[in-house]
Amino acid sequence: MAKVTVKLFGVMRLDSKISGAQIEIERISDIFNVLNENIKSEAPQEKLLSFNDAVVFVNGERCKKKSFKPSNGDEIWLMSPSSGG
Amino acid sequence: MNEKLLGYAGRVLKIDLTRKTFEDFPWTDSDRRRTLGGKIMAADILHSHITPDMKAFDEDNWLVISTGPLTGCACPNTSRFNISTISPLTNIVTSSNCGGDFGLSLKKAGFDALIITGRSENPVHIEILEDDVSFNDASQLWGMKVSEAQEKLQKRHGKLVIGPAGENKVLYAAVFSGERAAGRGGVGAVFGDKNIKAVTAFGSKNAEVYDRENLKKINKKWVEQLRANPLTGRQLPKLGTAALISPMQAHHILATKNFSAGRFDDFEKISGEELAQNHLIKNAACTTCVIRCGRVVQVDGKAVKGPELETLGLLGANIMNDDIELILKWNYELDELGMDTISTAGSIAFAMELDEKGLWDSGLKFGKTDNLSDVFNDIAYRRGIGDILADGTKRMSDKFGGAEFAIHAKGMELAAYEPRGAVGQGLGYATANRGGCHLNAGYLVVAEGLGLDVDALTPHGKAALAIMFQNLMECISAAGSCLFTSYAVFPSFLIDKPNSFLTKAILACFPYFGPVVNLLNKHTGIAKINIPLLLHPYALTFATGMKVTMADLLKWGDYGYNIERVSNIILGQGKGADTLPKRLLDEKQIESNEKTKVPLDKMKNTYYRARGWKNGIPTIKKLNKLKIEIPEAIKALNL
Ligand code: SF4
Repeated sequence: MAKVTVKLFGVMRLDSKISGAQIEIERISDIFNVLNENIKSEAPQEKLLSFNDAVVFVNGERCKKKSFKPSNGDEIWLMSPSSGG
Repeated sequence: MNEKLLGYAGRVLKIDLTRKTFEDFPWTDSDRRRTLGGKIMAADILHSHITPDMKAFDEDNWLVISTGPLTGCACPNTSRFNISTISPLTNIVTSSNCGGDFGLSLKKAGFDALIITGRSENPVHIEILEDDVSFNDASQLWGMKVSEAQEKLQKRHGKLVIGPAGENKVLYAAVFSGERAAGRGGVGAVFGDKNIKAVTAFGSKNAEVYDRENLKKINKKWVEQLRANPLTGRQLPKLGTAALISPMQAHHILATKNFSAGRFDDFEKISGEELAQNHLIKNAACTTCVIRCGRVVQVDGKAVKGPELETLGLLGANIMNDDIELILKWNYELDELGMDTISTAGSIAFAMELDEKGLWDSGLKFGKTDNLSDVFNDIAYRRGIGDILADGTKRMSDKFGGAEFAIHAKGMELAAYEPRGAVGQGLGYATANRGGCHLNAGYLVVAEGLGLDVDALTPHGKAALAIMFQNLMECISAAGSCLFTSYAVFPSFLIDKPNSFLTKAILACFPYFGPVVNLLNKHTGIAKINIPLLLHPYALTFATGMKVTMADLLKWGDYGYNIERVSNIILGQGKGADTLPKRLLDEKQIESNEKTKVPLDKMKNTYYRARGWKNGIPTIKKLNKLKIEIPEAIKALNL
């Protein structure tokens, strides 16, 4: 297990009402289980999150594998796709 | 299909300010079929008039203010109008798009477009009332800031005004309609030169449309589509364009410290999330908009327009400022003074780097923000260092040096996207007719991380995509539509499900679609089909009576891009104009990654071949194909 900082951005942050959290996970995909528990209690009307919905960065690098194992102290950004000039 | 085109008001008004006269400008259905309207129509009208020695501040320089056929037809997001003229900033044609109430009002007054020539002796307010035009004395308005001037004008009239920056001919002064700006290229300075403080229009005419019932159905579908799309239905309403700060940071596209980097450590403090969670009072919108990307925030206890992404990025990361409250205040001050925030911020960042390098001791320093309100005022009134800053980055670099880090293309400051993190956007900036504009560039960054996740650092396929995006945006703008309506063309799952197998597979192939896209670019007629996701052709068909397909959009876009390019060549733009500053071409943004510089030459050669251009000049064959008269300047090059 690795203790990581997760930050949410974009619509995902506003909808889930979660800006960020420090959590312990084994793989990137575990983040979503933890966050969804929170959403179920804090914003039950909102859609639950899944790995497929998020653009994921680990320490500033794009991560496309949900099986990726982070290390202690990693910072993980979850972004919802955005555009507009 | 219909013989006489509908959807249009059917008249173009030409005003001579020197003589204080007005008349109808001849514009027929054949002209409408050739140009569609808006930006392309304006480019065509300017092209018919300009001569090699013409300058922005010549009495004879025309201002062309034009609407598109969808404006006034109850289609969503179609109140946008265009202002084109010779730019004092770039000395070539500029076009500036605006979402205020003027376009709709001009059409209701019975005109598709307005041409203004000459120069008034005294400050003037041009008032257009259906069949009548009056030239009102505007001495009382002269000197007023943008909102005060608008408050003095008739409430129900569509308005265009300039602020002190336009009056003092700041080369990047803007024109305002309500709180919306036609910001880029210094159209406000041309207003100021002609002594125009305000133009207003009012009328009650409604354009007749070809098939009202089907247009109604399409409009309903269009609204539903825009609301269902993840970008136009959720992100833009919830976070506005400011949403992009965080993804730009992630993708190394957030212009930082005068484009010396693509990431800003304190990006969260100036982000769209910060704006939405702690400063947003409510949304705002251009007339007829269902997306509502505009922000309303509080400054000194007053509800005012909030900043767009460009302003947050360029008055934030690019000058090393992490104080969002200051950006909200500056955004308001710049709007009131009537200045383009992009060029103002770009000029200031360049001055800061000149100061840092000991090339110009202006006192402006990265991260030093306490005096910037005064500097903005000095620019608007051309006082002290403000007089130099008012001429923009390129002229400053001519004076003090630093051309390699003077961040402009063709004299226009770049928008907030750092192109070494999205090289296709870099090609767009370099080739855009009006200069360093992200939208005229084709906004390829939408595919390079901001929306879709195509490999942002590969040059493959980018030339073809840039041309297609440039042509489509040219045409969507000419229709009168907001460019954001074009996002709905991307299937939602490509945006919404960035990690799904299907999305990844399609986007991985994207750069290799180049040859197919090029085929469509070169032979626009092939695409004589419509796709259910792009509703503009359907709306144009039911509004005007022309049978419009994707092929027509591409053809109009190609025509518009070429006719504007030809005008620029007549005005003296030579080979080699399509370039970027050395910093972006030769210096890696990330030391360890060779790919983080813009491989412009590689992409540009493919781009030129596909456009039918040589060294940025349309060939005679290309111009013959588009039925564009060959000017002497091109004949002499014998291409
Ligand atoms: S989406 Fe934004 S820019 Fe476009 S029409 Fe609406 S408010 Fe105006």
